[in-house]
Amino acid sequence: MCNACGNPAAPGHWTEAGAASPGDRLRARFHRAALLNSVLKPYGLTAHDGGVVPGIQLGTLSGAQTIVHNLEEVWDEAARLAGQPIDPLDPRYLGDD
Amino acid sequence: MTDTRLRLTILGGYLGSGKTTWLRHQLHVGAFGSQVHVVVNEAAEVPVDDVLLIGAEGMTLLAGGCCCCAGRDDLIAALRGLCDARSRLSADQPRLQRIVLETSGLADPGAIVAAIQGDPVLINHIVVDETIVAVDALHALAQLATEPLGRRQVGAADRLVLTKTDACETSALDTLRATLATLNGHATMSAAVLGEPMSLPPLSSDVGPFALPALSDEDARGPIQPTQVAIPDGMDWSAFTLWLSALLHARGEDLVRVKGVVRTPAGRLLLQTVRKVVQSPEILPEREDGKGDDSNDNRIVFIGRGYRPPDLARSLNRFLGLPPPKPQ
Repeated sequence: MCNACGNPAAPGHWTEAGAASPGDRLRARFHRAALLNSVLKPYGLTAHDGGVVPGIQLGTLSGAQTIVHNLEEVWDEAARLAGQPIDPLDPRYLGDD
Repeated sequence: MTDTRLRLTILGGYLGSGKTTWLRHQLHVGAFGSQVHVVVNEAAEVPVDDVLLIGAEGMTLLAGGCCCCAGRDDLIAALRGLCDARSRLSADQPRLQRIVLETSGLADPGAIVAAIQGDPVLINHIVVDETIVAVDALHALAQLATEPLGRRQVGAADRLVLTKTDACETSALDTLRATLATLNGHATMSAAVLGEPMSLPPLSSDVGPFALPALSDEDARGPIQPTQVAIPDGMDWSAFTLWLSALLHARGEDLVRVKGVVRTPAGRLLLQTVRKVVQSPEILPEREDGKGDDSNDNRIVFIGRGYRPPDLARSLNRFLGLPPPKPQ
């Protein structure tokens, strides 16, 4: 754990389990941020992970920015910024409505 | 890299379901190894169980408060103490390998797993290995019919141990087994009398489960039911984890359990969650070609309620950018 910033608090997030080496992990981080960005786009949000600073940067189209540390925080913060929960079983997401 | 973290086994079960009796025998025969520490939690102020458990390396008693709610701080403090003591020994000395936590009969094992995973110290030292739930073969059906807690305990189990089966008629036992299978389809089931393992005959297919009445706290959300979702070949693991974490975040209270083996570039990963908590996935050994049964790979079981079961696979495929799955 980094003494200055307290990151990471836990030994690898569960989502990193598929990546064994540091290089794989970094690649997975970039890949995940790109995916997240496309997932959040319909909600008017952006996601960015530069790979240097721990955490994922979330932003709105109006420029508000926030840094979150894991995916649980991503969904909390995205729900707050978007004003609605991000629910994969939402009929609107499934295209039922 | 080997995982040197402490293994934690959670032993739960309803009041009087035979947890201590079963554990005492397991300690006697050394089923949990020699370097094992037992933590016993009692909801009542007056402890009785502690005198029964001899055979462990050490024992800690947490009395006066159920460790999934009122006594949670005591539990965290006790586990941290054990981790501290272990960390002072070098790795080549014989040191603690496993903790067995016997919960009170009122505890929800899922809440305990969540408490441990949420603690910044314990998450680095302890990995939750298995949740074993003792089920009283004589009284379980009556409890399951009226107690939501009993159903939650069964739902959280990796392994169900039916106790007192010698005093139970075969037909009643079969009905109970079929009922438990509807509540928790993935847990293994075994039987024990006074801790001594008993063999269970194969369950005949004409035995139906007992129709459990709906309880007041699960009103509109419908019954808890298992749904199997096939994972597409060559799936993008990162996309899948994003989807699952979003799903658990939105529906974690309804999804009691998610469990399955997923093939990833890193190997076969055992994935399991209890409510919103995901246990760190374990890489399973690769099977030799043609040996063993890996037909259950790339299938994930979702146990929960409050959604239409086919929506899970549809949502996953949409997320992965694949065409919707064919109706089964």
